[in-house]
Amino acid sequence: MVARGRRKRAVQDTEGRLPSPLGYSAVPIKFSEKQQASHYLYVREHRVREGAQSTWPQKRTLFVLNVPPYCSENTTREVPIFLRLGAWGHLFLHCPSGIWSADKESLSRLLSPCGLVQSVELQEKPDLVESPKEPKSKFFHPKPVPGFRVAYVVFQRPSGVAAALILKGPLLVSTESHPVRSGIHKWISDYADAVADPEALRVEVDAFMEAYDKKVAEEETKAKGEEGVPDEEGWVKVTRRGRRPVLPRTEAASLRVLERERQKRARKELLNFYAWQHRETKMEHLAQLRKKFEEDKQRIELLRAQRKFRPY
Amino acid sequence: MEPALEGAVQEGRKMSKRKRSVPGSPAESLLQPVKLSREELYKEPTNEELNRLRETEILFHSSLLRLQVEELLKEIRLSEKKKDRIGVFLREVNQCIKKVPSIPETELIDQAWLPAGVRVPLHQVPYTVKGSFCFLPPAQVTVVGSYLLGTCIRPNINVDMALTMPMEILQDKDLLNQRYFRKRALYLAHLAHHLARDPLFGSVHFSYTNGCHLKPLLLLRPRGKDEHLVTVRLYPCPPPNFFRPCRLLPTKNNVRSTWYQGQSHLGDGKPEPPTPHYNTWVLQDTALESHMQLLSTVLSSAQGLKDGVTLLKVWLRQRELDKGLGGFNGFLISMLVAFLVSTRKIHTTMSGYQVLRSVLQFLVTTDLTVNGISLCLSSDPSLPALADFHQAFPVVFLDSSGLLNLCADVTASTYHQVQHEARLSMVLLDSKADDGFQLLLMTPKPMVRSFDHILHLHPLSRLQAACHRLKLCPELQDSGGDYVSAVLGPLTTLLKQGLGSRLQLLAHSRPSVPEWNISQDPPKHKDCGTLTLGLLLQPEGLTSVLELGPEADQPEAADFRQFWGPRSELRRFQDGAIREAVVWEAASLYQKRLIPHQVVTHLLALHADIPDTCVHYVGGFLDALIQGPKETSSTGEEALTEAVRCYDDLSRLLWGLEGLPLTVSAVQGAHPVLRYTEVFPPTPARPAYSFHEHLRERASLLPRPDKPCPAYVEPMTVVCHLEGSGQWPQDAEAVRRVRAAFQLRLAELLTQQHGLQCRATATHTDVLKDGFVFRIRVAYQREPQILREVHSPEGMISLRDTPASLCLERDTKQLPLLTSVLHGLQQQHPAFSGVARLAKRWVRAQLLGEGVNDESLDLVTAALFLHPEPFTPPSSPQVGFLRFLSLLSTFDWKNNPLIINLNSELKAEEQVEIRSGFLAARTRLPVMVLITPQDHKGSVWTQDGPSAQILQRLVILAAEALPILEKQLMDPRGPGDIRTVFRPPLDIYDVLIRLSPRHIPRHRQAVDCPAASFCRGLLREPQPSSLMPVLGYDPPQLYLAQLREAFGDLALFFYDQHGGEVIGVLWKPTSFQPQPFKASSTKGRMVVSQGEELVMVPNVEAILEDFAVLGEGLVQAVEARSERWTV
Repeated sequence: MVARGRRKRAVQDTEGRLPSPLGYSAVPIKFSEKQQASHYLYVREHRVREGAQSTWPQKRTLFVLNVPPYCSENTTREVPIFLRLGAWGHLFLHCPSGIWSADKESLSRLLSPCGLVQSVELQEKPDLVESPKEPKSKFFHPKPVPGFRVAYVVFQRPSGVAAALILKGPLLVSTESHPVRSGIHKWISDYADAVADPEALRVEVDAFMEAYDKKVAEEETKAKGEEGVPDEEGWVKVTRRGRRPVLPRTEAASLRVLERERQKRARKELLNFYAWQHRETKMEHLAQLRKKFEEDKQRIELLRAQRKFRPY
Repeated sequence: MEPALEGAVQEGRKMSKRKRSVPGSPAESLLQPVKLSREELYKEPTNEELNRLRETEILFHSSLLRLQVEELLKEIRLSEKKKDRIGVFLREVNQCIKKVPSIPETELIDQAWLPAGVRVPLHQVPYTVKGSFCFLPPAQVTVVGSYLLGTCIRPNINVDMALTMPMEILQDKDLLNQRYFRKRALYLAHLAHHLARDPLFGSVHFSYTNGCHLKPLLLLRPRGKDEHLVTVRLYPCPPPNFFRPCRLLPTKNNVRSTWYQGQSHLGDGKPEPPTPHYNTWVLQDTALESHMQLLSTVLSSAQGLKDGVTLLKVWLRQRELDKGLGGFNGFLISMLVAFLVSTRKIHTTMSGYQVLRSVLQFLVTTDLTVNGISLCLSSDPSLPALADFHQAFPVVFLDSSGLLNLCADVTASTYHQVQHEARLSMVLLDSKADDGFQLLLMTPKPMVRSFDHILHLHPLSRLQAACHRLKLCPELQDSGGDYVSAVLGPLTTLLKQGLGSRLQLLAHSRPSVPEWNISQDPPKHKDCGTLTLGLLLQPEGLTSVLELGPEADQPEAADFRQFWGPRSELRRFQDGAIREAVVWEAASLYQKRLIPHQVVTHLLALHADIPDTCVHYVGGFLDALIQGPKETSSTGEEALTEAVRCYDDLSRLLWGLEGLPLTVSAVQGAHPVLRYTEVFPPTPARPAYSFHEHLRERASLLPRPDKPCPAYVEPMTVVCHLEGSGQWPQDAEAVRRVRAAFQLRLAELLTQQHGLQCRATATHTDVLKDGFVFRIRVAYQREPQILREVHSPEGMISLRDTPASLCLERDTKQLPLLTSVLHGLQQQHPAFSGVARLAKRWVRAQLLGEGVNDESLDLVTAALFLHPEPFTPPSSPQVGFLRFLSLLSTFDWKNNPLIINLNSELKAEEQVEIRSGFLAARTRLPVMVLITPQDHKGSVWTQDGPSAQILQRLVILAAEALPILEKQLMDPRGPGDIRTVFRPPLDIYDVLIRLSPRHIPRHRQAVDCPAASFCRGLLREPQPSSLMPVLGYDPPQLYLAQLREAFGDLALFFYDQHGGEVIGVLWKPTSFQPQPFKASSTKGRMVVSQGEELVMVPNVEAILEDFAVLGEGLVQAVEARSERWTV
């Protein structure tokens, strides 16, 4: 309790303004009304250094740190929020893993008072480039368990960023009008979601394989077309599939060849034939013994240090 | 003064070492690979070096062993400085003794002259005895024993002094009726009274010579700081040639029945029973000098022999064989060495190690209970034959006089135990194991850890009645009323016969040698602690519930009936024979393991009148921890077998499946259940529909938020390999899609052809069969390789391990292989399952289950069975678990890999190679390295844990639990609360999160089974089930996954998956250091101003509330218990 008091004082030190690192402003965020303490979002306008490339639109993007892990994607089903968001403008909803998640909904709902939100992207760590747009399959890329993340929020107008920077909060993730599930309810609905629909899976697999087969077939016809045709410098590419197949170019194959060569050489060599060979093998034996002796001594030294020679 | 200084210096050195190692430099005690320069390696050898190398080669089997032996001898040998101090003390003692005043002659029964402060150190029963006593200072005081021979070992240095009583004290017929022993005791009492008043001595106590109750001795210890330096033991002995040897033959009687038993047995004409032990004890006193001379002539000739004796003493002491009456003590082993020298089996040029080896070899090959040996060289016809001694004593080893049996008090059981130990040690030495020395001489073998089952007979007074029941009156008369030692022999023979093929070895503890103050009466026989028997079981014999006797019409049938009493029944067998037989009630393996308990209690009650309240059988106490909830008659082996059988059926179905585009090439289990190591075996799931939500279109059940969490059903993973074919795509993503298609097809076909309920996902297919749920994973052999392929810029394809490929290889290749090998191990050692599960249970109960994975624990347990040295493979979960704790806590994980030679596939050379490779790569390897034939690097199973801290914690906990548990099991009054060591200490955690039992599906599996829990929606009666039960739904685990993902940087979370009601949270101290702001590490932290600077610290208050938010419904309370997080 003592600690709590001290913490409170530390927070209020700066007379109303929450302490935040240079360039950032802190926005308190809580799960719901019931919680006493809050986490702090650290927000800032997204900027990059001169010359660095970023796909996020300048001026309009808000960079948010420390997004807490609550909210479950179940809120996706909460149609009202979804529709309302949709009405605000064009919405790209995707995560690094490409899973539909409600965090962005919550986040865009929370930030919507500042201005119309165009897109929200949640990531494990800061990244300047947007991840690929096409959503990944939910069958093959099960969604990860959420932790603390960072977010890039793109507003339709730069004024949204400015408004967000002076947001007072505390923001509430779960309110009576938009409850967010957690705990038992979340796990049960997660479980229900994980019971996969085999038909959908089949359709997806079939579609993928069709595309894959097509791609492979294309590559093959292309390779066939190039066979035996010299390039601009006059080189001809020789492959396994050609009229006269050659060794595949793999590491294993080349190692095999080297090993065979070595054995051939070893067969021809004479052992213990010359006097110096005799001498050398003896010396080698002695050196082995010496090395072993040194090792043993070291081991004993260690055991002695651990007092391992006291039997009882 | 100097030794004290030395101690201080050592202490200082130790301190400085500790100080140096504190700042966390693990390199301090880490072995480094040896680097020698070329010059050093190839320089010309000196003569000395060559000699040493040759010597090592001839006399020891490796240079390491030689160094270790030398080091051990240095540690236990007495230093010259101490010898000097002891010498001074001995001279002082000698003078004191000479000064003791004499007293005038009185009758033996008139002991009024004895001062008040001292009691006679002997039970004088019956009291009346003829003769008279007077005290005179000893005619001669000589030092005898190991001190002079230079074979005494630290700690507990004893110096034996023989006091020759003057002729005047003794009378002609003193041999009779304990008169000599009475006088001996009175002599000591008087001596004690006077010595106790001398300020030279710190303590003056009585004790017994080798535990023999007729022969007390006096212990003197110096006063002051030297108190623990030495103990001087005074043995009074008769003047030389006082007793006529012919009176002391083993066939002679020297204790008359009329005197011993009163007047009752007068004149029934029976000859007096011989008193061989009594005679031997007298003879021992007369032969002290001659034995000393013999040993000193033999041993003084060579240092190697002394070293050998010293090593043998350590060897015996580690095995607890040397103490008490009838122990195989250092004197006996010295005499044995002398015998082997005289028969030229040992040569004086041998090294200590070779002497040890020769003696062990001799013990293995010679059974002294059948073929006695003798040091006597004379062929005097008047001497008794060996056969006479065999009749009187179980073990025979005669001294050079040919009259005294040195092994008179050694029981056959003790000797067989010595032989058994010698046999094990020889196997160990022959195997040339790297750590042979450690296992042979440095590992203690306490009874409770060596024997599968032990039993205590308590109280000992009960044995007196047993003596009468077994008609042992002559033996009592012989041993002067010591009923414990009198009854030992017959009792062990009885049990050995009864246990028959179930038993490998029966050993008994030797009654401890008491030590008491001179003002007290000697302790009674019944106060000499307890009698503990150790049973080493034969696993093959344990499976039978039948004791087959002779056919009913044979004459032996009567003996059989007599032996087994009312338990013997006439039975008709399938081959038509009608035989006597005993059938024990035992249905499960658990009960069969405990049949010896039934046998022992039955036989003891029947033949020795010892009721079962006095027999405290310690064999199955720990089994309760691996018994399922509401289960009392089995430890789950049967349930596991049933699950495995169901899996076998399923694999047959998979093999025979028609319509798969590719054929199945292998079906392998990959789940702990399928290698018998799951703590609680699965039970067939029969879910009640009303308890669940239904997902009709997928034929599945779902948990309901308004009900308690449904029962936990864990699917058992089965890997199904499909044949390789050109049809498989060569692209990782495409292979996954094809596998998914196979999963779907499998589900379809199993439902169509066998009517099984299936559910397919992209990675696996769940199949419900007979209530068990299996998770079939389709695997393609080449997939790990495809994942490994890397195209270099030049177009070369090379193979590089990636996390994904390693993970896949582990799950589809190594895990199934391990599962099948351990399944095989279970078939060889039926106790494997029990030990592995107890071990796992304990680790999980300590909340460390998630830090150490299942496979590594199973492998450590397997090591107990494959490399049991210096023990034998455990045959009961109890002893196996104790050894697990011992291995865990004593193994040097930092400097050694634990090699688990499954199926003995690793050859000795490979092991040497592995060890040197280990040293070179130590820093890159995990903290716990488990080597198997499939994994020479030893990192597959322990790569992801345990971490150094978790392992350290585990080692500490094991080191604490072991002595507690052993003490509980060795307590003759019963072990008390056996679950003590399974309860985790919670005081180290910073935060405790209490969970609500309503949502803990395995609540009933808790170490302390809750009195009441919630209904989990299971039906009693089997019912044709068509809906898939809720699979793998365990809210605490889901909660933990969330906590670890969100707060893994800040804290560690600990939980017992078997019904734990609390999650322990430990803040990571490093994360609580205030840090400068960094965009990539803001997780759960907040910025505060500290002085001038802005720093980031964990937002603990919000995090504590997050704990409750994330686990809504499951979390009851979050208790912050420490203020460590205040910044």
